[in-house]
Formats: sequence, C-alpha cells, structure tokens
Amino acid sequence: MTSIAMQRRRATASRVWKQFRSSRQGMIGLGVLLLFVLMALAAPLLADARELNPVFARASGNPQWAPPSDFPPLGTDHIRRSVWAQFVWGSRVSLFVGLAATVLTILIGSVVGIVSGFVGGRVDAFMMRVTEWFLVIPFLPLAIVLASVLGRSVWNIIFVIGVTSWPSTARLVRAQVLTVKQRLFVDRARSLGASGSHIVGRHILPNVMGLILANATLAVPISILTETTLSFLGLGDPTAASWGKTLEEAFVNGAMVRNAWWYFLPAGLGILAVVLAFTLIGRTLEEIANPRLIRAR
Amino acid sequence: MGIHSLWSKLNGESILMRRLVVLMTVALAAALLAPIASAQEDGDLVTLRVGLTQDWDTLNPTAGFSVPSYEVWNLHYATLTDKAPDDFAPVPGLAESWETSDDGLTVTYTLREGLLWSDGEPLTADDVAWNINTARDQGWDNMISTVQNIEATVVDARTVQLVSSVPDPKLPTMDVYLVPRHIWEPIATDYDAATQYEGADADGVGSGPFVVSEFTQGQSVVMTANPNYWGWEGEEPPYDQIIFRLFDNPDAMVAAIQQGEVDAAHGFPASSWDALDAEENIEVLEGHQGGFDEIAINGGAAEGQPHPALLDVNVRAAIAHGIDRAAVIEDLWFGHAEPLETLSPSALRKWIPEISSDSQFSYDPDLANQMLDEGGYMDSDGDGVREMPDGSSPILIRHAVNTDGDLAGSIGDLMVGWMGEIGIGVTLESYDQDALFQVIIDGTYDTFYWGWVPFVDPDPMLSYFTAAEIGNFNDANWSDPRYDELYAEQNQELDPDRRVEIVHEMLTLFHDAAVYIPMYLGPDLQAYRTDTFEGWVKQPADIGPIMFSNSSPSYALVTPIGEGAGEGSVNWLLWGGIAAGVIIIVGAFLAMRSRSTEDERE
Amino acid sequence: MGSAITLVFVLVFNFFLFRVVQTDPIGSLFRGRNVPAETIANLRESFGLDEPLWTQFLLYLRETAQLNLGISYQTRQPVWDEIVTAIPATVALVGVSAVLSAVIGTIGGIVAAWRRNSWKDHSITSGTMVFYSMPDFWLGMILLVGFAVVLGWFPVGGISTAGSSATGLELLLDQLYHMFLPALTLTLAYLGEYTLVTRSSLLDVMGEDYLTVARAKGLRDKVVRNRHAVPNALLPVVTLTAINFGFVLSGAIAVEAVFSWPGLGKATADAIRGPDLPMLQGLFLLFSSAVIVFNLIADLTYSWLDPRVEQA
Repeated sequence: MTSIAMQRRRATASRVWKQFRSSRQGMIGLGVLLLFVLMALAAPLLADARELNPVFARASGNPQWAPPSDFPPLGTDHIRRSVWAQFVWGSRVSLFVGLAATVLTILIGSVVGIVSGFVGGRVDAFMMRVTEWFLVIPFLPLAIVLASVLGRSVWNIIFVIGVTSWPSTARLVRAQVLTVKQRLFVDRARSLGASGSHIVGRHILPNVMGLILANATLAVPISILTETTLSFLGLGDPTAASWGKTLEEAFVNGAMVRNAWWYFLPAGLGILAVVLAFTLIGRTLEEIANPRLIRAR
Repeated sequence: MGIHSLWSKLNGESILMRRLVVLMTVALAAALLAPIASAQEDGDLVTLRVGLTQDWDTLNPTAGFSVPSYEVWNLHYATLTDKAPDDFAPVPGLAESWETSDDGLTVTYTLREGLLWSDGEPLTADDVAWNINTARDQGWDNMISTVQNIEATVVDARTVQLVSSVPDPKLPTMDVYLVPRHIWEPIATDYDAATQYEGADADGVGSGPFVVSEFTQGQSVVMTANPNYWGWEGEEPPYDQIIFRLFDNPDAMVAAIQQGEVDAAHGFPASSWDALDAEENIEVLEGHQGGFDEIAINGGAAEGQPHPALLDVNVRAAIAHGIDRAAVIEDLWFGHAEPLETLSPSALRKWIPEISSDSQFSYDPDLANQMLDEGGYMDSDGDGVREMPDGSSPILIRHAVNTDGDLAGSIGDLMVGWMGEIGIGVTLESYDQDALFQVIIDGTYDTFYWGWVPFVDPDPMLSYFTAAEIGNFNDANWSDPRYDELYAEQNQELDPDRRVEIVHEMLTLFHDAAVYIPMYLGPDLQAYRTDTFEGWVKQPADIGPIMFSNSSPSYALVTPIGEGAGEGSVNWLLWGGIAAGVIIIVGAFLAMRSRSTEDERE
Repeated sequence: MGSAITLVFVLVFNFFLFRVVQTDPIGSLFRGRNVPAETIANLRESFGLDEPLWTQFLLYLRETAQLNLGISYQTRQPVWDEIVTAIPATVALVGVSAVLSAVIGTIGGIVAAWRRNSWKDHSITSGTMVFYSMPDFWLGMILLVGFAVVLGWFPVGGISTAGSSATGLELLLDQLYHMFLPALTLTLAYLGEYTLVTRSSLLDVMGEDYLTVARAKGLRDKVVRNRHAVPNALLPVVTLTAINFGFVLSGAIAVEAVFSWPGLGKATADAIRGPDLPMLQGLFLLFSSAVIVFNLIADLTYSWLDPRVEQA
C-alpha cells in the first residue's frame, strides 16, 4: 500500500472524528457505550462471579427475593443470586453476542455485496434474487426456527443472527460498490491490466469500508435485541447469563407478580442503553458518510 | 390534522388524500371488528370453575397419561368400585355389592339397578365384561397392569364375574375406566384406532357425574352434569357444569382466584402461598397424595449410554450427596414440601420404608468429594472438572431440563452449582415433557429432573423399575434381577403385612442403587374460594388434596352457596379500561385540533 | 410472478430445514407412545421417506397445498387446525396495534417534520427512539407490573375473564379490556418506525420545488401542508404499513407470551419449548406467506393510490 493512500486514509479518519466530535448525539452514544464496554471488561472487579452460582449464594447467606435496600446494590433473585452480579456479567454475554453476530452479518453481507456488485451479470442477478428472498422471510421466525433446530448455545445464537440478518447489508454494499465502480479510477486501473482482486483490495474495499462500518454500528442493536428476544423465548444458552436470560428467568419465576422490579428492570435498561448508544453512533456516522441521508435506522 | 377535518377540507380536491383516508378507515374498522375467538356459554348455568396449569394430553382413557386427563376421566367414567375419600378402600360404585371366593381368585359383582350411560343407553354387565376382556386382549397401556390376569364373564344383565389366574392383592378394587361399548366396539379391536381415538371428547358419552361437552386443548374442558349418574339417586344434580380452565402463567391463575374468576385452583406456585393464605375468602392447602420429584441418573440400560463414570454406583451416590435437597424445599417450596429418601409408590405413606440414617444421601459435598477421590476420579488437568481414573473423558454430564416443569429451570441452575462443588461439569439441555420422554427412552441424557404422582396400589409404580419396562416407563434405565423377583412376589402376595415388607425391601434396594434421587414429597398446592362452593373433601383424609386426587370425589359432593356461585365477575375496571381507551383516542383528536388552530394563528 | 417465486423459495427452504436437518420425522411423531413397528413402516411409506429426496419434496408440496402441515407434537392435533384457532386473536391484537401505531406515529412524524428542530421535534423523535430501542416484551412486562399488578386496573393476561359466562357485546368488551395492555405495548413499540419514516419522508418532500412555489404564492402554511406536502409524504408510509402488516403477525411473539394472549405468537413461544417442530414449521410457513402476500398488497395499494406509479 502506498504511503499516499495511507495518508489519505488517515486524513479521512481524522476528518470523520472531527465531525463526529461535534455531534452531541454521537458523543452521548459513544460515552454510554464506552461505559458499558468498560463494565463488561471490568466485570471480575465489579462483581464476584460466584454470586451467579445459587449454591454459593445460599452458602454465603444471601436473602431470597431481597429488594435493593436489603441487599445493595440491586437485590437478589428467587434463588438468592445477586442481581448486580447478573447485570455486570450479563453485559459481557450480551455485548459479545451482539458484536460477534454483527461481525458475521457484516462479513456475509459485505462479501455478497462486493462480489455481486463487482462481478455483475448473472452472478449479480442470482445473488440479488437470493438476497431478496432472505429479505422477505420474516427475520424473527426464521431465527427462532433455526435456533430450535440447532439447539441452545451462544455460538448457535451468533450463527443464527448472522445468517438471518445479512441481506440488507448486502444490498447497501452492492449499491455502493456499483457507484465506486462507475468512477473513473477503477476503469483506469483496469485498463492498466490490474487483476480483479487487486481492484477490490486497492480501490473498492477502501471506498466501501466507511459505509460498512456505519452499517455495522446500526446492525449491533438488531443483533442485541434479537439475542434478547431469543433468550427470553428460551432459546438462549442456558449456562450463559445474558441480559435476555435474566429477563426470561424473572418472567418465569414470577418476579412480575411479586413486583420484584429490581430483578427485571436493570437488564432491560442495560439493553435499552446499549441499543440506544449504538443507534446514536450509527446515525451520526451515517450522517457524516452521507449528509443528505436523514433516515430511520 | 384529525382525519375528519382533513376529509371535509379536502372534499373533492385530492383523489390521493381521499383514497388514503378511505384506506385508513377501512383498515381501522377491519382491525377493530376482527373476530376474536368467542366461547359460547349459557349465562344462566351454575358453574364450578377450576384453574390448573398443566395441559391435557388426550381425553382417551386408554392412552393418555397427564394428571389433568385423569381428572376428566374420574368424572366422565364411573368405575365398578369407587374409592372411599378417606382411605381409598373399595366402596360401591357401579357395583352395589360384591362377593369374593374363599381362594380370593374370583369376585362376583352385582350392578345397581337401572344404570344408564349419559346418552340413555343401558349400562349392563355386558359393558363391564367387554371392557375388561378387551383392555386385556388389546393391551391398552392404562389398563393392562390391572386386568392382565383377569377373565370377566357375564352371569346376567346385572352380574359380572371376574376370575384372576393368579392371586391378586388389588381385588376386589376394580377401577379401570369403563368406556361405552356401543360406541367403542367398531374401533376397539384395532389397537391404533382405539388409542388414537379422541375418547371422551369425541363422543361425550360417559357414566360418571359430569361428562365432557367441550374440549379445547391448551385452554379448557367443559363438563356438564350427567342426569343419568347413579350417585344423584334420581335428584337434580347440585349444579350444572364444571369448567376446567388452563392458565399458561401460574401467576395469572393466582390473580384469577383472588379476583373470583375461578372457584378453585390446582397447582399454584409455592411462592404465592402467603398471598393466597392472607385472602379472607380463600382457603389454601397442601394436598399430599404421594407425589414426589426426583433427579434421575441414567442407569445405562437404554441404547444411549450415560457418561461412563455414572455406571459406578459410588459416583452416583457421590452425586446424590452433592445435591442439597433441603435448599430446594426451603427456597423453591417455601417449606411446603417434605423430605423423602426413596421413591413413594402410593398415595398412602405406609409403603415408604425407613432408610437407615447412615445410608441416607445427606447433603455433604465434602463426603462426595472424598468418595470421588477414593474412586480415582481426579481432576488431573486442573480445570476444575474431574476425569475418569485413567485420565480420559472429563466428567461432564448432560442434565435435561423439562420445560413444562415450573421449577425445572431453577433446579437446572442449582444442579450446575451443586455439581461444580464436587468437580463435575454440567451442560443443560431443554426438552418439553414429550421430548424428554423420548430422550429417556433413547438414553441420550445423564440426569434429569421430573416427578411422579403414584396410584393407590403400589404395584404400577413398582412395576416401572422392572426390566420389562425398560424402553417404556422405566425412566431410571436401570434394572436388577433381585428387584424383579421381589416385584413378582408382592404382585401375588395376599397377606397385606407381608406385602408391605416385600415392598420395603424393594425400595431400600432401589434407594441404594442411587439411580433415583427423590428430592421431596411435593404436595399439590390448592386453593378454593369459601364464598362460592362448599363441601370439599380431602382424599386421603387430612393430608390429601381436594381435587386432582385418585378418584376426585369432591366434584359430586360440593354444592353452590347462594347466588355468588358461578358468576364470572367482569368488574367495573372493564369500563374503566374502555373509558381510558376512549379518552386516549379523543385526546389525540383534540390535540390535533388544537394544533390546527395553533397553525391558523400563525 | 415475483411473489410466486419467492413463495416457492420459502417452501424449498422450509422443506430442507425440517426434513433434512431432522433425522427421523416419524419417530418423533410418536414420542412417548408404544407404536407397533408395522404402523411406523406404513407411515414412513405415506410420508415417502424411503423415496428419493425430490419425490419427498413433491409429496411435501402436495400435502402443503392441501394444508396438511402435519400433527403438532404437543397437542396431537393437526397443525393447520391449531394455527387457524390462533389466527383471530393475533389478527385482532396486531391489527389494532398496527393501525393505532401507524396513525399516531404518522401524526407524530408530521408534527416533528413540520416543526423541524423545535422542542416538539426533539421530544417526539427521542421519545419514539427510546421505545424503539427497548425489547418490546420488556416494555410489556413493565406495563403489566405497573397497570395490572401494582394498580390492578387491568388483568394480568389472557383474552377473556376465566370462567366468565359472558356472551355477545359483554364478551367483546371483556376481550377488548384484556387487549388493552398488550395493544398498548405493541403500539408504543411500533410507533417509532412510523414517526421516523414519516418525518424523513416529509422533510424530503418539503425540499421539493412545487412546495416552495406554493409557499411563495402565499398559500397558508397549513393549506400547503395538508393539501400538498402530507399526501405525498404519506406514500412511503402506506407502503411501510402494508409491509409491516405482514411482519407484525410474527412481531408479537414475545409480547403475546408475556400477556398469555392465545394467538400465533404464543403458539410459537409454546412450540419453542418442545421444540414442536411441525408446529414451528407451519407457523414459519404462515408468517413467510403473510409477508409475501402483504408485499403484493403494498405494491397494488401503492399504484392504486398514486396512478402515476406503473406496476412493475
């Protein structure tokens, strides 16, 4: 890679950051997100993982169904586990699944989009047909059906979200690739006898990267919400305490009728905050990448 | 911009706008008027409403197995002998009397006079004999253990004689459900046709106090009083119908009985005990009838094999010592369950043997660790999970979670914790009860948590752990020749005391094999309103439940109190809710209008 | 034509997912029952399981065309019967919520766009975004605890009062009373999408020339908005509504579970616990078909509303 290209990219990055910094919604989103990432990383410092174990919780004399006032900071659940520990450790699972599933989504979507847009012709027609089919199939039932057939584990959830949510990314990337392709410099590079992979790597990828990243930030909320819903419906990994699983357990064990708000409020608020943060960041990035674009996520 | 104001302003001006408004109106109207499922019920009937949380499987008495289905059969099908509410002793049912021969092998029953099916057909000795002989010949699952050695012959229209080929301690009790021959005859000789028939739901013809008139799986069963039931003795039935209402959410059932939407509730969560107990017009009770839950360990007799370590009885015993059953009784049952050491085979306590204290599986993780250490199951690679003595395959077991059980999820979480303390890894796998049944038959599990509610005679429960039941009811996947020998012996032992001794020996042997770790004797937690119906009876006396018991005598005995019974109370909050909805809609319109005027001012 | 091909794709997908992944569809039909080997053999034959895959596929198409979607494991009833029973409750709940959210959301979007960057715009936009960002079932849980458990104003679940003998209008009112909280949940959850789409669509339209001309001609602000801007901006919203109707059928899965609302969503949630694969397969087919049909309706509506648009 030439140093000129590097410089240009560095310049772009600093320009984007400058614009981003001036957006209030973007900075709020980033701040909230950093807070949660920090919490996830520092989980072992914030809460003893053994508090997730009902046997340990009982042995250490935790009360049952205790409100936050009796067992700070967030009370206990039906089998004496600390809700705070579930919240802190749950952020790890939820964020990890959300990010990993997004990586998979973006990977599939980008590959399909780039190949489709760059190769064109019959390949393009075929791939876009398949993409349209996947767009039409309702996303949540498809995810449910796949997860039911595959079984309950973190990796299956990631896989399920990845293979069900790529089509919109694919379409977006393809459109961008087509625009880039039209631009003169690609033609020039091709006329100089460059190979396809060279063109993709040197010219197309750098130009669609920004869009892919903006799209990724908007795909994370969907991944996180999907993980939450799947876990709530009992398709989550039974041994990985995500926020969605906390909500499921609260629901199943009668937290609502007992008005044990401390059991189900924190996890939901956590999801809300992280989803909102990603949405704000994504919208900001989108506006920077395409100032004319003012749209829903 | 209320739709109305738009409409008048745009009159004749914009086709697009008019069409938009038309479209929205049509959509709204369609949505509001969309048919909501409606049950057809007559408003004037006196109804006993019972809430429950477990679904029916099928109402076919030859094939179903769920407790709610048994409850329906108890009401729909009268039996030859009834069971006394107090102690299950045989009392006259369809038969008004009987005589047992000196050798105990022959019993001659005399039917009541003028018995009729609910459709008016006569119910005769012919019906009885045909039922017993057909069930035996066809091998109907739910009847076979009672009738397998019995030959029934018709003496005259009101007399039927039963001859057992072997001594049978269960006689003279004859409690198989009798189906109407005039309806069942065409299908009864084809096993598939008979077991796949919809039973009480398809024909609605029975001989008990109430017969099925409407069944919606997953929702409700409606049973109407049968005017031809012998027990009314020619009088009018005390009330018109029973509605069994299934609640998916046990908490919703608790709210329903509090608000008087149901008169009685079966199987409410222990966590709601205090709330219901505090209600003035609600009585709560622990109904013990021998029901218990267990954690079963795969004994290895099925095709699918458990983890090899589980084939060692010492490992199984160590697992048993690692399970804190007192914690479950305290935290999940809030103290409303009782400790149990071996399985409970009957609704009567006398069949449960005393297990000596030194062989009890007390909660003792240190002892469990020591036992595993001594067996050579060490954690050789330091990952917190023990391996086989030769260092191979870490002891990672698959615990099956029954998604139909209220406590199963919590037990699964606890299982992970308990086993973690003794160096055994656990993965959780979820199945509903049907799927779990298949998994057990296939043997593709290591442990699971489930429960039983036994019958009165211990024989069926005991039979489940014989070699013959592997692949069917033997959910321990374990057998022992000595156990099978004792089983055959008690099956024909006519001396009641000697039979108890044999059963005790069997259950002690079963306990020591450590394939079945009983968690507790779990009562049915039931509640009933004291202001709608009265006269509930417990079966068995004092400790038993008032419904969902072995022969469910309460329903024919309770009577409505005054006017209150059976009225569904749609309270004033309904109108409050509607008012709130109207206010929101009107408010939205007004808000729009005020914004319109605001615009005009600008 | 495009819809038909998509439908075929869904069928193929459905077939492979369940028939190929699942190892023994017959064995699992009889879980927990003692069934003679002969019966199993007969069933294998009628399912065509001994035939090559493409024959199996043709058999599957034939059965599906006759609405024979198999037998539910959990209830042992035909899947189609189970689905038909559950449809009205979902259509009523989801229909009411979809219409309410479309109407309220659109109005909110119009207000936000017309007063862009005003406090109204900011509060509407951020408010709807918050509802849009929370798990819908969690919102339902909170509303349920607040209004049903703590205040006791509404029932905690179900579609009608248990054991009530009400009929006719009284029953309908009872059902509407039970519908209130789940409908409120779904309305709030769907609101955001309509608001944001209407807002951006209207902002686009407002930038167009003829509106500027109309405003320059001195037409009153409100007239310009109602007569020119809004109708044109609503076109994409109508499409969104129609498409959403297809999706919302499946959108209420977790919310129906929270409120024990006996519709398709709860049927799905119940089927998951099994897993009751025939039921899931049938529901999946229904949900997918609904989306395809409503996409078609969206296209047709669009061209009816705006005759300038030629049908593709």
